[in-house]
Amino acid sequence: MAKQKVSKSGIVIRKKPLGIRIWNCRGYYLMFLPVLIFVLIFYYWPMLGVRFAFFDYKPVGQPKFIGMANFEKMFTGLGAQAFWTSFRNTLELSVIKLIITTLASVIVSVFIFEMGNLIVKKVLQTVIYLPHFMSWAVVASIFSLFLSPSSTGMVNNMIFHGDTTKFIYFLADKAWWRPIFYIINLWKETGWGTIIFLATLSGINPELYEAADIDGASRMQKIRYVTIPALMNTIITVLILNLAKVMNMFESVFVTYNPAVYDKADVISTYIYRQTFANALPNYGYSTAVGLFKSLVGCVLVLFCNWLSKKTRGRGII
Amino acid sequence: MKRKLLAVVLMAAMMTSLVACGGSGEAAAPAAEASEATEATEAAPAEEAAAEEAAPAETAGEYALDKITMVVDGTLTATVDSGQKEFNDQWDAYVSEKLGHDIHLDIQQQDHSGYVDAVGRIFASGSYPDVMIMPASMYTQYLNTGILWDMTEAYDNADFQSRMLYPEVNENVKAIGGGKLYGIAPTYGNGCVTYVKKAWLDNVEIDPSTIKTFDDYYAMLKAFHEKDPDGNGTDGDTYGVIAAGYLKSDEAPYINYLPEFWQDAYPAIYQKDGTWIDGFQEQATKDALERLHQAYVDGVIDPLTLTAGTKDAREKWFSNDQTGSAGVFTYWAGTWYQNLTDSLSKNDVDSEIVEIEPIAEVGAYINREAPVWVIIDDGDGDNAREQAIFDAFFETMLDGGRGQILWTYGAEDVHWSTKAESFTTNADDPEKKKDYEYADGEFHLKQSPNDPNTVWKKNHLDPALTIVSMSDEFSDFVSTTSLAAEGNAFFTAHMKDAPASPSSATLTEAAGTIKDAKDVMVSSVIVDGVDVDTAMETYVATVGPIIEQILAELNSAE
Repeated sequence: MAKQKVSKSGIVIRKKPLGIRIWNCRGYYLMFLPVLIFVLIFYYWPMLGVRFAFFDYKPVGQPKFIGMANFEKMFTGLGAQAFWTSFRNTLELSVIKLIITTLASVIVSVFIFEMGNLIVKKVLQTVIYLPHFMSWAVVASIFSLFLSPSSTGMVNNMIFHGDTTKFIYFLADKAWWRPIFYIINLWKETGWGTIIFLATLSGINPELYEAADIDGASRMQKIRYVTIPALMNTIITVLILNLAKVMNMFESVFVTYNPAVYDKADVISTYIYRQTFANALPNYGYSTAVGLFKSLVGCVLVLFCNWLSKKTRGRGII
Repeated sequence: MKRKLLAVVLMAAMMTSLVACGGSGEAAAPAAEASEATEATEAAPAEEAAAEEAAPAETAGEYALDKITMVVDGTLTATVDSGQKEFNDQWDAYVSEKLGHDIHLDIQQQDHSGYVDAVGRIFASGSYPDVMIMPASMYTQYLNTGILWDMTEAYDNADFQSRMLYPEVNENVKAIGGGKLYGIAPTYGNGCVTYVKKAWLDNVEIDPSTIKTFDDYYAMLKAFHEKDPDGNGTDGDTYGVIAAGYLKSDEAPYINYLPEFWQDAYPAIYQKDGTWIDGFQEQATKDALERLHQAYVDGVIDPLTLTAGTKDAREKWFSNDQTGSAGVFTYWAGTWYQNLTDSLSKNDVDSEIVEIEPIAEVGAYINREAPVWVIIDDGDGDNAREQAIFDAFFETMLDGGRGQILWTYGAEDVHWSTKAESFTTNADDPEKKKDYEYADGEFHLKQSPNDPNTVWKKNHLDPALTIVSMSDEFSDFVSTTSLAAEGNAFFTAHMKDAPASPSSATLTEAAGTIKDAKDVMVSSVIVDGVDVDTAMETYVATVGPIIEQILAELNSAE
């Protein structure tokens, strides 16, 4: 027997049939309908393309069902080495980048929060936000010029005083590419990352600082014992939310990498790009298979983050 | 009631926005539908023909072709902002008159650098063009797909055969197709020659005629790097040579931007003594990579060569600021001889360039496999449509008359003219100012539609490279600048044909992976200094088995 819903006063609440409930709220359903149609057409309809992961699908001719052959090629076949390299790089680059940029954002936020001069504070905030609004293509051009190994490269000239024999090709050097990549990301995204932390900092109860003052706490002690603990929940939230997006890395790598650093820089999205667009007759099926695998890993990460969020914050992210 | 009203209004707003979104789809539709519509209208006569079994096969003359959809890359220089509309209108008018019925050329020009990708997307969308241009390496990959029309017979019987100058060009294309011609090259391939800045040679006191061997060439590069060839008072801030990549691994003939270093190596699958081999694994390739690594270490080669595209390389070469530039640049012969000279001049750099003869180790510059125009077969088993396209497109493109003039120079009174006129380029600059004056009836090129300070050079066909001659009536319609003509003559005197590209299903499948493996190997040896044998072992471990499979496929097909 179905469990009946009972009100506090003991009256049995009978659930009305679905049709009647919909009719009663028809206004809302009507409002929702276009959104539903929009989501179905633009989000779920394209997902049907996932089936091509099991097809040999070239620009010319009909797609041919080949079962798991694309996955075999990806995991153990011709594409395995490059695929696993890109998979490893994606995780390493994303996670390290996430940790570094979050940490930098926290530090910068605390510095800004501690600033007394309001004008300097506002100017600094505006200036460090700006790089976020530059496209990756522009950012890559700027850093390529600065780091150029030719005689016009500013950084090399500063370090080696014009001795071109010692110049380092930072963006083509396996040892240098990753540090440079992290620095570029720090420059571009740290400012933007401070927004959420500054919002949290502005919400800290001033009485906590007053109490710390009365207790004779120094500035550093106030940061350590008041500010940082107050930020911890936000830091964890930001980390968890961003962890779910670690597989989505393309632009920042695509505009800065080259064949000399594929070992250290190639990520899944750039690998898919080359497999798809560097061929006259690409197999879209293979690209889709790699993309599908990437999405599955992303999905697992989201679920993991949701579990982690429940554990640490008491509530999930989805 | 208010809530219901609000709901209806909001829903209407959402629906409107959805319809608006759909609007852009509709706007894009004609391009896709165009070809479908063409197919539909064109399929009808074929179906009728099939129905009338007793009727004789339909001839091209009976086929009502009202539109040709053409996909082309950047080699059609009459672009949208350079008089393409006028070219298109004049083509429509001329060909309609010639055929006796209206026909329209629908030009779908794609970005040159992303052409291969764009074509893939066009095909994947099911929107097949009627004709399109394909670079040689792309052509060989599409050969096995069955969508290219076999035009052997149409080509052999074409009217333009009577004016054929270079029959071997399309005989080579035919050889790639196993004796069948699936695409026509209207010009021979052309190739790259090595250009050197004359002022730099003078500054380091080198006579270009003494550059005979690799040692001479390398000594010149070192002088350009170590001395002060640009005369800015600083030694060592310039480079010997710059190129668009050490190896152009996705574009045959792969090595033509640095021929002096590659010499006798051909780092791709090619036929040697009747057997297909992987030239990348040959000793000649290893030697070339070691030469390039040494040049990288010595600093004579601009390190940006690793990542530079053709545009980056040439712009750095003729840049206004010559600090950090290079003295040597190997680039396309003929028209580019003129273009590079003009660009140096435009940037106020001494514009005199010297072409150097191939060094002894190179022997001859490589004449690449020519890009071909193909007709997309609709697969209905009836050749009427394809023959009609051939007649309307190729027979007029190479007719030796107005059609060929359109493809060679562009639109009359837009790109060229025979009317009396005078004009001045760079009127504001006394040093570069140049006056042009032409009498009535004199064929001449006009100012470029998108840059009045330059004179138009050509449209799609290079007049010096076209495989057929102009007819007697239009034999005076020839205009190549002296430098372009000189450049072409120099190249043809010092060229050899590139090896034919292979066509294999497995190669098509693995092309991306092989390209990656080559790029990694080349950069690891040249930039990272990895031992060439070790790097080759990695290459073989990565793609060796698939290369073996491709070679077995190719050799068993011979």
